[in-house]
Amino acid sequence: MSTGTTGTGEVTAGDVAPVVQVAGKADLVTPERRSWRGVWLRALSLLSLVVVWFVASLFLSPNVLPGPVTVVATMIDNLGEPETYVDLGTTVYRVVAGMLIAVAAGLVIGLIMGLSKFGEEFLDSWVLVAFTVPSVVYGILAILWFGLNDVAAVVAIGVTATPAVAINMWQGVKAIDLSLIRMGRAFHFSRASILRKLVVPQVIPFLLAALRYALGLAWKIATVVELIGLSSGVGYQLGYWFGLFNMTQVLAWTLMFTIVLLLIEFVILKPTEYWLTRWRPSMQN
Amino acid sequence: MAEPYLVIDNVRKQFPRRGEPPLTVIDGLNVAVEHGSLLSILGPSGCGKSTLLNMINGLDDVTSGRIVINGHTVGVRSRSAVRIGVVFQEPRLLPWRTVRDNVRLPLDELDVPREEADRRVQRYLDLVGLGDFGDYYPLRLSGGMQQRVALARGLAIEPDLLLADEPFSALDEITARKLRQEFTDIWRATGRTVLFVTHNIREAVFLSTRMLVVTARPCTTHMDITIDVPYPRVPEDDRLFEIEKQVTRDFIRMEEAAGADQGAAV
Repeated sequence: MSTGTTGTGEVTAGDVAPVVQVAGKADLVTPERRSWRGVWLRALSLLSLVVVWFVASLFLSPNVLPGPVTVVATMIDNLGEPETYVDLGTTVYRVVAGMLIAVAAGLVIGLIMGLSKFGEEFLDSWVLVAFTVPSVVYGILAILWFGLNDVAAVVAIGVTATPAVAINMWQGVKAIDLSLIRMGRAFHFSRASILRKLVVPQVIPFLLAALRYALGLAWKIATVVELIGLSSGVGYQLGYWFGLFNMTQVLAWTLMFTIVLLLIEFVILKPTEYWLTRWRPSMQN
Repeated sequence: MAEPYLVIDNVRKQFPRRGEPPLTVIDGLNVAVEHGSLLSILGPSGCGKSTLLNMINGLDDVTSGRIVINGHTVGVRSRSAVRIGVVFQEPRLLPWRTVRDNVRLPLDELDVPREEADRRVQRYLDLVGLGDFGDYYPLRLSGGMQQRVALARGLAIEPDLLLADEPFSALDEITARKLRQEFTDIWRATGRTVLFVTHNIREAVFLSTRMLVVTARPCTTHMDITIDVPYPRVPEDDRLFEIEKQVTRDFIRMEEAAGADQGAAV
């Protein structure tokens, strides 16, 4: 810009500032409060579950419901065994591989459905059908077609989680605020900037929701496939100990895997989500 | 001023329609604006005012006629070298970016160097009275404050021409009134040419040096009024009130005539 303009700008700030009444903090919308209260409440809620479990176990045989102390002790014993990590790792690997397929396929399908009327009409009934079919069916079909191996598990997980991701992305694209795109055009943003600065950020919360939902589905179908037909992974261990009527081990393995998933949720998903949506004032207040 | 800064020369705009004659939105609009003036375009809602702004901004082409800015005929393929800032009816801020980043966004697009951009963002936030709010996210601000941020964004690129599309019409009257007052102060201080679209007669009379009253569908020039009241103005000024009364009378007559025309056509 020429010096002339900068000059006017200088004059501007000096001249006008006193006329324009400076806004006060009182004009603000009520702020969001994020405190440790939530953490305490969650801990309390979990603790109450453990208490109920403990009390119930006092009245039941250990073959039906072993107490939390026994189960946790067994889990810690298991954590001393190297094989435990092999099984855990195998299942996590299958879940992650299946999720990658689901996210890639779901993103493409969801974007097509969101962006094109033709795509939507062509694909929506398929997605809804695929979403409705019980995931065990995918597990059985995958084992029949691909054999008793990792591919079957990964394919079953991928097919199960794809519709969930697709549906979320579909809704995400439809929810894009077009007035922001028009703003970008009016200021002559480049196409790349419109995509990167205006479109992608609007879709990200939907992608996160899709990921979380897909993760929940993925590990359930992973254990089912392992239980039906594979000889490794958490599902296999669950099936093995169930065959021996060892309730303590079944619960120990369930607890361990649940902890792994909660770690993924609280260490990766939640912080990412909080960071990406930090601009949003909380609804609950 | 020898040469008018912005010339709208017999502009016509039609949108093609399938199986029907094309829809004429603007039909023979004429106006010449001097540099530094604040021209408001007053017309009924949905009369093609936004289309006109798009054409001036190089987002749409005229069907016939010419739009000349600073001696350069503009169109989609020959956008004006003149820098154009925009303020919309709604703030249209990115809720996931801070106030400062929002104002900065168009500057990044123009490759303004970082330090210069920082300085400008702060200067224009100060100018709209939000100097201390740069780190806030827009959803924490009230509607009036958000609209001020939008105004700062429009000004921060230091436009030679500012297009304002009913920027105060979604605000409550008290806030709008305050912002109008500030708007004229800022306009006088910056010396930019402003095109202010509105359907609020009082607003148009209060703000502008010149007022173009246009008819509805298709949009043509109905009246071209120079408002020769010195600034700073007060909304209760009798001279402004006289002009408002006169324009209102005429505006209603025009609306009724249009209604009668349509009635005859049916």
